[in-house]
Amino acid sequence: MSEERLAEFMARIERGEKIEATDWMPDDYRLAAIRFIQMHALSEVMGAFPEKEWVPKAPTLARKMSLMAKVQDEVGHGQLLLRVAEDLARPLGKGREELIQELLEGKSKFHNVFHMPAPTWADCGVIGWLVDGAAVISQAALLQSSYGPYARILQRVCAEEGFHIQHGESICLALAEGTPSQRKMLQDALNRWWEALLLFFGPPETDGQNAQVLLKYRFRTKTNEQLRQKYLTKYVPRIWSLGLTLPDPELRYDEKQGRWIYTAPDWSKLKAIARNEGPLSQYRLALRRNSYETTRWVREALTGKAVVA
Amino acid sequence: MENLDRNALIALLYQMADDELIVGHRDSEWLGLAPHLEEDVAFSSIAQEEVGHAANLYKLLEDLGEGKVDQLAFDRPPERFYNAVLLERPNGEGTYLENPRFDWAYTVVRRLVYDLFDNVRLAVAAESAYKPLADLAARMRREERYHVLHHITWFKKLATGTEESRRRLQEAIAKVWPDLPGLFAMGSVTPGPHFNAGPTELLSRWEAELQPVFAEVKLPWQPVDLNQPIAEDGRSGVHTAELATLLTTMGEVRHAEPETVW
Amino acid sequence: MAGYPEFQVYEVFVQSTQLSPHTWVGSIDAGSPEDALILARETFLRREKAVSIWVVPADQIHGTDYEDPDFFAQETDKAYRLTSGYTADNARRWRKYKRELLDIEKDFVKD
Repeated sequence: MSEERLAEFMARIERGEKIEATDWMPDDYRLAAIRFIQMHALSEVMGAFPEKEWVPKAPTLARKMSLMAKVQDEVGHGQLLLRVAEDLARPLGKGREELIQELLEGKSKFHNVFHMPAPTWADCGVIGWLVDGAAVISQAALLQSSYGPYARILQRVCAEEGFHIQHGESICLALAEGTPSQRKMLQDALNRWWEALLLFFGPPETDGQNAQVLLKYRFRTKTNEQLRQKYLTKYVPRIWSLGLTLPDPELRYDEKQGRWIYTAPDWSKLKAIARNEGPLSQYRLALRRNSYETTRWVREALTGKAVVA
Repeated sequence: MENLDRNALIALLYQMADDELIVGHRDSEWLGLAPHLEEDVAFSSIAQEEVGHAANLYKLLEDLGEGKVDQLAFDRPPERFYNAVLLERPNGEGTYLENPRFDWAYTVVRRLVYDLFDNVRLAVAAESAYKPLADLAARMRREERYHVLHHITWFKKLATGTEESRRRLQEAIAKVWPDLPGLFAMGSVTPGPHFNAGPTELLSRWEAELQPVFAEVKLPWQPVDLNQPIAEDGRSGVHTAELATLLTTMGEVRHAEPETVW
Repeated sequence: MAGYPEFQVYEVFVQSTQLSPHTWVGSIDAGSPEDALILARETFLRREKAVSIWVVPADQIHGTDYEDPDFFAQETDKAYRLTSGYTADNARRWRKYKRELLDIEKDFVKD
């Protein structure tokens, strides 16, 4: 890789140009992009599982259909994003089979929030409301990504998140305005999820080579802390306005510093989750692995030579 | 409504609505578990539409004074459900939460035979003297077109794909076939202006659609004997233990806190 | 290479009304063109109306190179082939005869 090519590439980035799948790109850009997009894609795929648990138990037909449509979108986003990752990974000889195997073997990660349990209907609502809310904060920032195919597909993804946000708020508003035990169910779910939501954006010191590479090449343009602060600004007042509380006595907006002050969550939990040692990591990976294995014969039939003329 | 047999119409609507709800519910268990991602997305739309059809049919029942849509869907015991037992059968081993090892071949065959049956039933319902049903049936038929195309494509793919897929498809056919008399049965519903056909007529129209598909992929055709005694006749409210489990799951959240808004 | 053994990547084009062109919306992995059509409907048209879908194997798409922007260079004045290249001058002349400029939309299509 010549210095000249790299300098030219950086100049393109600095001019705000988009990089396409077939363009020349430095190896570290390609690898960092694949890793990031693959994790995003696999998170969408794994993200279907906590919510699909509640489809059979949704308390009205309207909620049942709405939740089915939301889960369908998550799987759909996984598909759209995997396609982007596949095109980037093609020169490395990797296709969808390999990218999924990396998930099943623990080599590729998925977001912490999808390793967490969803024990009540309110958890299902909180996921739609606050997990999707966090995802949109992150995805909206990535609309500026230097990687063209990713920025493009995120337009469709973000548009569909619009429905997710409303769906989640609809469920939670009904609980917030419901009976005392419905309100308690919602408050309990909030208390359970708050730490995971803070962890979602990653640690404040954007440490690690990968994070630096992503920012240098403007694949990402915002840091973890910037995104988390935006999330708190959008959502904390909203949560408080419903008379709900959050399990952090330090949580407040500091006017002088122009930022939210919060108790640091336990960042080490992210490391455990990266090793797939979260509360439901293995259970959910097993669902994916089992379904993948028990339907292997189906995929083989889809392209096999016809055995009967 | 003077010439219409109101009781027969209501019984028919329950059969149609319950069929759609139960099959849609079973289909939804496949979320996240389908053979590949694009298929997961496609199959989910079909499941959503079945539940949507159920909701529309329950609305007709609501308008006839039977109760509110969600009450009809969630608050009846198994013996007051009139879906065909074929549709309540599990998707395979395990449950959707615990170690699901679902059988795609069974799902493909079940959905194909059911959606072709539903197509035939809707064609007759579209001629109903009860206009709200006729209108709804005409609209539902148009959506069913995609369902049928999807299932036929899958059926042919599995029949001609690999030796294994063909074998599994034949095993699935063998599992589904004994439940067919129960699908065509109509319980207390007799033909009339509300619905002008009986099981024999429906069966013959259904065979005309499905036999050519079997012939095209050289699978042997087994005739359906409507006179065969039915072990559990869903149309009369007799079900397997599976339905009770399904309904308990379905009502778990709602029944924990009845009389509230969700 | 799509991924699952022998699946292919299909690029998907959707036509929203019969008066619109087919527009590229994305791609899917599928085992055959028939499968691709069925899958594409739900991948891309859950919320949009359409009248037609085309699927094309990705390796059948021929395209230009983003790194060759000069392929699209338009550096010299092309006003001679634009309406706007004539309207200022013609308007000035017709004013003498108390006549208005003709407009395609107003005077021919809608009138």
